[in-house]
Amino acid sequence: MKVVFGSSTLILLAKVNLLREASDEFEIIVPEEVKREALVKKTADAELISILIKERKISVQKADEVKAVKKLQVDFRIQKGEAEALWLSRKYHYTIAIDDGPSIRASKVLGLRFLTAIHFLFYMASRNKLSSALAQEKLTKLVQYGRYNKRIIEDAMKRLEEGRK
Amino acid sequence: MGVISLRLENSELKRIDDLSIQENKGRSAVARELIQQGWQFRMLKQYRDGKLSLEGLAKTLDLSVGETIDLLAELGIESPIEYEDYLKGFEVLTDK
Repeated sequence: MKVVFGSSTLILLAKVNLLREASDEFEIIVPEEVKREALVKKTADAELISILIKERKISVQKADEVKAVKKLQVDFRIQKGEAEALWLSRKYHYTIAIDDGPSIRASKVLGLRFLTAIHFLFYMASRNKLSSALAQEKLTKLVQYGRYNKRIIEDAMKRLEEGRK
Repeated sequence: MGVISLRLENSELKRIDDLSIQENKGRSAVARELIQQGWQFRMLKQYRDGKLSLEGLAKTLDLSVGETIDLLAELGIESPIEYEDYLKGFEVLTDK
């Protein structure tokens, strides 16, 4: 599956050390602006993203219709990177990975298929790419950085315990 | 640095003076910090309410997206992702 990433999900997965595993299972695409935002400061997550781009585990794609991207920014009150990800998802029928309220709302309006960081964790756990204990540990970290609401966290913990996706 | 004059309530002036003594800083420095923190609070609230995107928040706070995620985690500010959105994602995975 080809998935275009917004900076929110990209950085969240990097922070919990799941991005490399995700890049083994999904074809990850990032818009140019998302790449720029993700690498703007030299941090551990930026370093991982940079390495994965160099290794071609993450590909960078240009959103070349400036006016259309700008319109998405205005219509949904989002920034350039988020709009570029939406545009690429719409144009090339990629699933979009986004952990951002306004961008998820935009995805729903535009009829795009979307995932959030927590879904990648479940996918990898369901494919036995992570042991049960490691998946629980990653979920704890993801809850910290992803700050999901209580209902999501409770459901996620239950799903992991029951081993379903 | 610009200069403005503004009228403050006595209670507001007292707060500035109290903080100034507590933190051993000048009134102007304390007032600037309070304005900055008030700005941050408003932007964080807008983000929490889903009115501001993560990149938008990062831009207004002059932070990278990664630093903004760290700040949100430190402050425990809930993500505006709804349970319904979370459930929708599983449908996408089922189709994979």
